[in-house]
Formats: sequence, C-alpha cells, structure tokens
Amino acid sequence: MSSIGTGYDLSVSTYSPDGRLFQVEYANKAVEAAGVAVGLRCTDGIILGVERLLHSKLLVKGANRRIQSVDEHIGMATAGLLADGKHLGSRARDEAANFRETYNAPVTVQVLSDRISGYVQAYTCYGSVRPFGISTLVAGADKTGPRLFCIEPSGVFYGYRACAVGKGRALARTELEKVLAKEGGVSVREGVMEVARMLSGLASYLAPLAISLSRSTAVESVKNDVLAIHLVHDDNQDKAFELEMTWVCEESGMKHAAVPADLLAEAEEKAKAALEEGMEED
Amino acid sequence: MEGINTVDLMRLKHGEVNLGTSIMAVRFEGGVVIGADTRTTTGSYIANRVTDKLTHIHDRIYCCRSGSAADTQAVADAVHQHAQLYAAIYGERPPVATVAALFEKLCYDNKDQLSAGIIVAGWDKEKGGSVYNIPLGGGTFQQPWAIGGSGSTYVYGYCDATYQEGWGEAETLQFVKNTLALAMARDGSSGGCIRMCVITEDKVERHFVPGNELPRFWEGKEVIGGLAQTTKPVAAA
Amino acid sequence: MAAKGPVEGSSIGFDFSNYARNEFLGQRLNGLPKATSTGTTIVGLKFGGGDSGEEEGICLGADTRATGGPIVADKNCEKIHYLAPHMRCCGAGTAADTEFVTNLISSNLELHALSQGRPARIVTAMTMLKQYLFRYQGHVGAYLVLGGVDSTGAHLFTVHAHGSTDKLPYVTMGSGSLAAMAVFESAFKQNMKRQEAIDLVSRAIRSGVFNDLGSGSNVDVAVITKAGTEMLRNYEMPNERGVKSRNYKFRRGTTAWTKESIRSLVVSEDVRITSGAGKEQPGVEVRPVAIGAGPGGEEGMEVDS
Repeated sequence: MSSIGTGYDLSVSTYSPDGRLFQVEYANKAVEAAGVAVGLRCTDGIILGVERLLHSKLLVKGANRRIQSVDEHIGMATAGLLADGKHLGSRARDEAANFRETYNAPVTVQVLSDRISGYVQAYTCYGSVRPFGISTLVAGADKTGPRLFCIEPSGVFYGYRACAVGKGRALARTELEKVLAKEGGVSVREGVMEVARMLSGLASYLAPLAISLSRSTAVESVKNDVLAIHLVHDDNQDKAFELEMTWVCEESGMKHAAVPADLLAEAEEKAKAALEEGMEED
Repeated sequence: MEGINTVDLMRLKHGEVNLGTSIMAVRFEGGVVIGADTRTTTGSYIANRVTDKLTHIHDRIYCCRSGSAADTQAVADAVHQHAQLYAAIYGERPPVATVAALFEKLCYDNKDQLSAGIIVAGWDKEKGGSVYNIPLGGGTFQQPWAIGGSGSTYVYGYCDATYQEGWGEAETLQFVKNTLALAMARDGSSGGCIRMCVITEDKVERHFVPGNELPRFWEGKEVIGGLAQTTKPVAAA
Repeated sequence: MAAKGPVEGSSIGFDFSNYARNEFLGQRLNGLPKATSTGTTIVGLKFGGGDSGEEEGICLGADTRATGGPIVADKNCEKIHYLAPHMRCCGAGTAADTEFVTNLISSNLELHALSQGRPARIVTAMTMLKQYLFRYQGHVGAYLVLGGVDSTGAHLFTVHAHGSTDKLPYVTMGSGSLAAMAVFESAFKQNMKRQEAIDLVSRAIRSGVFNDLGSGSNVDVAVITKAGTEMLRNYEMPNERGVKSRNYKFRRGTTAWTKESIRSLVVSEDVRITSGAGKEQPGVEVRPVAIGAGPGGEEGMEVDS
C-alpha cells in the first residue's frame, strides 16, 4: 500500500493512480475483523450460520441477532458493522415487499441480491458517503431452488454453493469445500451439524490444518496470525460467542426460520465433543 | 355554491367508443381458452364489426377487454410494455399472476378515470393455464372461468350449470363458443362474430366463427352443453 | 375542493380549473356556447395485393366542407393532411384540433425518421396519435383516418378522439360515415384495382356529400402506394356554381348626382433628423441616424479609446 498517506484514501470518489478505491478496501478490512458468517446450500434447503462474538458478559442471551429475515423465504446474514447490516436488511425488506406488490410474486434470491448490490454499489460512487462495512450473505429458496449469494462492500455479488465471510473465512471456506465434496451432497440436517462444528471450533479445530497451510505461502501466514489470535481468544474466554443459525427447508415449510433450539443444542454438543477429541489428538 | 360541489366529474364521456361486450376465459388442463364477440359501438352505431378484443400481452399471455376501447387499449399497451421490460430484465417470461398484478395496479390506481373490465389469461411454467378477472374498480380474482362485459350477465347461470372441472381443449373451446353465442343473442351491444384463442405451453391458436355460423340454440339446432361441434383453427393474425 | 386535472401541477396541457365554474354557469345561462366542429365525410380503403396484379396501396378520400354551426365556413377546405411522404391522415371533428394534431405528429415523425435513419412506420404514427389523444381524454376532438405504406406493407387505421384505434380494410368517419359505410359495405371487394379503388372512394364521399348535411362541396382523393403518393385535389367537383343567367351590373350613369368633390388622401410632411437636444449646435455635424442600426446609428458604435 505505497499510496497510503498520499491522500487517495480520503474519498471514495477518488481513484488512486493505480486504479484502486482505498475506502472500499478499508471497508473490506472492517469485514475481515468481524465474527464469521457461513452460508451452505444443501440438497433440500439452505442454511445460514453466524458466530456472534460477545463483548460483554452482561449481554442478554440470544439478543442482538445478526441474521435477519428479508421475506418469508429469504434470510440475510451480515459480517462487519452491525448497524450497517441492520440498515441494509431494512432496505432489502423494502425491495422484497416492493417486488411482491408490483408483480404479485415472491422475489427470487438472485433478483433481490441484484437490487441490494445496486444499493451497496451506490455507496462507492459519492464523496459524501462511506461504503458499507459489511459483506452480506443472502440465502433463500425460490422457484429455482435453494440459492446463496454474497455481496461485498464494492457492490459485486456472486452466487455460491457455500460461502463464508468475516474473520477466518478462508479456513471456513476450505472446510465448506470438504463438506460439499461429500458424495450425494449434504442434507440440511447434516449441514446444521457441519456448520455448528465449523463455527464453534473454527480456530481450535482447524489450527493444525491452518498451520500446515501457513507454511505454503506468505499470504497464509497472515491468516495464521489471525488464527492464533482467535485461538488465544477462544482459550481465555470460555463461551465468548454464541451460535446463531437459520434455514429454509422442507422442515421449516420453505420459510426462513431459526433452526429449532433442540437441534442447535445437539449440534453444539456434537461440535464440542469433536473439538475436544481433536484437542486430545494434538 | 352547491352547483360547483355537486358537479359529477365522472359522467359518461360523450361520444366515447365502447366495447359493449361479451368476453370469456376458461382454464383447462394444460392451458386456457379465451373468447370474445367482435362488436364495437359508438352510441347506436357499430364502429367496428370485426374487432379483435383478444389482445396480445406476451408470448403466452392474452387479455380480453371490456369497457371503453380507448382506456382498455391504453392499459393493455402499458402492460404489454411492462411485460416486455420484465422479460428483458429477468430473462424469463412474466408469470400470468404478475401480468394480472400489473393490470390491477393500473386499473385500481386510476379507477376514477378508467372504465376497463379486463380478463387476463395465459400459460406459465409455474401454474400452467390460469385465468384472472379484474373487474371495473380493480381487484384481482383468480378463477377457473371468468366472463365479463355487458353480455356476461345473461349467461352466469348457463356457465354455473355447465362448467365442469377436467375438460380438455376441444370441450372447453365448445363451452366458450356456446356461452358467447348465448350472450350475444341476448345482449344488444354484443354481437357480430366470435373470436377465440387457445393458449398452451406449445401454441397460441386462433379460432374464428363468422356471424352466420354461430350456434343457434333457439331453433333447437344445438344441444346445450353438447360438444358435437368443433372449430378449425385459423392462421394466427 | 378543486377538481383534480389529469396533469395537476404541470405547466403544459389543458387547464381544467374553470370546469366546475363553467358547468355551473352553463346551467344558469341555458347551455354553454358550443365548440365548432366539422361535419365531415372521410373514408379510406386498402386496394391491390393478392391476385390483382397491382402493388397494395391505400386510397383515402374526403369532402371539402368546413362548417361552424349552421354556417358553411369554407367551401373548399383540405381535410387530407400530410404526415410523412408515404403517409396521409384524414381529419374529422374539431377543425383546429385535426390541423394541430396532424401537424404536431408530422413534425415528430420527421424527427423520428431522422433519428432512426429510416422512414417512420404507419403503426408508429398511429401510436403517437392515440397516445397524444388519450392523454387529453377526448378534449382534443380529432377523429382521424390514417393510411400509408411502409416497409411492412399498406396499413389503414381509424383513430378516435379518446384514443381508441381500429385496423380495418375499409373505414369511414365523420358525420357522413354512415352514408359512406353503406357504399363500402355494398361494394367493397378485396384486392381491387387502383382505379376501382379511387372510383369507390369518391362514390363513398359523394354519398356523404349528398346525404349528410355536414358534408358537401368537392371530393379530395389521395392514393398511396410503394411508388409514391398522389394527391388528387378536387378529384370530383359535383357542386360547381352554375353560370347565372342574369347579372347585377349597372350601366355607367344609371345614378344621377348633384355635387362632385375630390380630396387627396395622401398626407406628406418634411422631417428633418437632428442630433443633440433637437437644436442645431455650432461645430456639431448633423448626421442622419442610420435606420434600424440601434441607438447612435452605425457610426455611433465606435468606442472611445
């Protein structure tokens, strides 16, 4: 970042001489620091999961949710500035309602993502605003089946079979690749277990893998640092985060709903067991 | 100033071209049949005796128009444009429900200025054949069959008594033809010929019954609900 | 509350704010004054094509009477209006409205043709007309027969003042439309020859001229084919004024007079142009002010250095 400090990072409406928008890149930094959010498209539905970091022990349990409902059949998880996520969620709900009113039909996940991305992109064009400090996972099931999209602060969006954003997303993505590689695909119920395992023990569970990865490239070493911090953080404070998961599947009536508490508890239990097993092996 | 407050701004527009009409749409397994008479009137004069009230909206969606010719043409043109735009933006044909919603929005929002009674019908991949009735003041009603226009009041009983679920294309076509012939015979502002259209996944097929070949029930020549008669399709206009 | 106009808050279009007042006054004053409208016969038909051995084309016809109430305002007016080289439009209804609406659309069609780089189509003109007329909800009282030939063939439409349109092989409009339609309904054939078409059209107009009070005078005809447009102005003149058997010219000296006085009506005066306060001043050259050159004249435009 040789251009830092030369003034090209002061406004989002000014390019740096090498054609970059620093404010947008800084927005990505805000995302990288946030708790991870995961989306997983399964054979019979779709799952959203987030790790909600608890900065205080005084917080009410289960409050301050990071996954929002946009329409009956669509959910949205954000990683980054919480308030930005709330605002974008509100906008997404307006768009979905507007589509319903105009066309007498539920909006598809792709069309909704397209509209949200247009809104996000507009915040990278004007000097008077700052870009959204969030990456957004939009997940839902429409007439085309279960769909997952990720919208970045720049306004670009891609469709995914599985995606992770936030701190430690690279490791989560590697894990998701493994999950998707399973023969015959994964059902939502299996998916819930996998995501719970990934989120509860992201750092500790994946530590050996990450270290092996870190030896391969320089870039990975940065990730390793992040990992190490996470690992320490995890050790020092037991229960420093809460698991939050929603899905859209047959069991939820093809509506966006929270994963039932008993199933989530079971998944967490299993995840913890697997995590401890992994620790012992070390 | 009582005079000013009680002036009726919505009086019938003088000299307006009207579609005193009999229109109809019926759903069947795999598609819909729509039909209409061909009479357009200005007062007591028939301005057009071979009108086409079955109006193209999109590839597999048509509407039947009743009420003011100018209003329904303007609304249909606007919805046609919206439907094209929808296809261009979303890369697929608009569903019939969506087109019906577009019609309803225009008809409801401008209800004070419009006299338009519209039946939207067509085929889409989500629902197959479907029929939506949008009466005078707006509102959308999905129905297995719908009739409209001034002539429809004479044949509600016939439709109630005759319609059955599970008809095929030929039977539905015959039902539409009989119903319209009955309506046109009793309604002075309906008449002329019958135009019909079959819309399915694979085709949009037009049928035309000339005025001298209409079913004639009062001479005992046709059996009510009978399905003996068939029509041949004509080349699409 | 005031009545809400169709283009409320806009500076263009008609203003309906006096509608309720006028309606109220109308009730008090035994009816509102009526707008002028043209009793008219206008017709059009498609000919050629099929096995006629001729190119398809459009033949339009119109009478030439313009009326203002019971008065014949113009005995030989033109009701076949120009829209584009390959397009003509007959107008019935309010004379001014037909004139202005066809002029406006003609102008827009020219711009459209220029921007698209090809001649405008007949449906384009039809759509422009219907959308314009619909916007004014029938208050622009133009009833039109539109015909022409474009790359997609020969097309014939009627356009009503409220904005509805019809596409038919033969059409009539105006107060004489019933008489003209009777002729068409009895004698129209598909794929007529050019001359047959002209004959039928002029027969239909004549039927309006002689049977409808609002129509009269001469027959105008326009023939449009791919080859070009032919305007047959006063194609028939069935109502020419006959030669009077007597005239009312009096011989010179028929009337006697007692006094003769001749006055010159031409007034001449001398005008001397001066500068300054109207007085001659010593040392100041009097220069005539150049006409039309603004203050100071053309020489006075110099700037001191």
